[in-house]
Amino acid sequence: MSCALDGELTAKEEQEFLQHLSECMACAEEFIEAKKTKMIIREKIVRFNAPQSLVDSVLKLGVTTGRQAEEPLLYNQFS
Amino acid sequence: MDSHESSERKKQKRGKETLTREERKKQQEFQEEAVTHINSLYNYALHLTMNPDDAEDLVQETYLKAYKFFNSFERGTNCKAWLFKILKNNYINRFRKNSREPGKVDYDLIKDFYHSIKDAQSDTSEAESDYFHSLMHEEVYQALQSLPEEFREVIQLCDIEGFTYEEIANMVESPIGTVRSRLYRGRKLLRGQLENYARKYGFNTDTEE
Repeated sequence: MSCALDGELTAKEEQEFLQHLSECMACAEEFIEAKKTKMIIREKIVRFNAPQSLVDSVLKLGVTTGRQAEEPLLYNQFS
Repeated sequence: MDSHESSERKKQKRGKETLTREERKKQQEFQEEAVTHINSLYNYALHLTMNPDDAEDLVQETYLKAYKFFNSFERGTNCKAWLFKILKNNYINRFRKNSREPGKVDYDLIKDFYHSIKDAQSDTSEAESDYFHSLMHEEVYQALQSLPEEFREVIQLCDIEGFTYEEIANMVESPIGTVRSRLYRGRKLLRGQLENYARKYGFNTDTEE
């Protein structure tokens, strides 16, 4: 059931699963419910952006050879 | 003799330049492969630490380590999964010892967390009109947070971050079968929690349609 929901079945398994759903009301119902739960989680959990200062400092990683001036575009707001 | 020496020196010089170029190449690849996932990592860190400052530290630390060991990242595999694993390990080593018991939920903490993160996120454009929307989100978030940690974790990694079972299994260091059963049981619990909420806000929970 979970595998079907998460796209973890092979094509053949998926076919068998759908076949089963068409014959088994209980599983079909459960599958619909599970799908809804997954959709709610996906849609309702808000994603935050990483703070710009964090992005800037991570982009600066590896710039240790005194060549900073060559790639100013990548961390222009670093202070 | 003389010419040998100078060619040695030239070689050294060239070696130095190549190293720098390699370093630059590494840096560029790192930015393309790894830094692109920074928002996902930040969100994962927020979920784990429930605190924007700690989350920021954790992500910073993760990238430091990732950059240092970037050569050991297996090219062609999922870099995001690799980063998540590093972040999780860092979290366990650094934060978890002092933090709340797994599975225990402090709702006040969640509320505080929300308000602090909302304030920090000075995206004023959708502030007021989106109040209702974010309220619904808060309820879903609480439902998710109320699950025992081992369930919540796999649901997050699967549904929010879109990792495969194999990647999740590797991250949580459990067999795929365990991941699968945790997902199944966790979702079942979650569904129960969400049912009232869903009915309230118009998600149809009846199967008749």
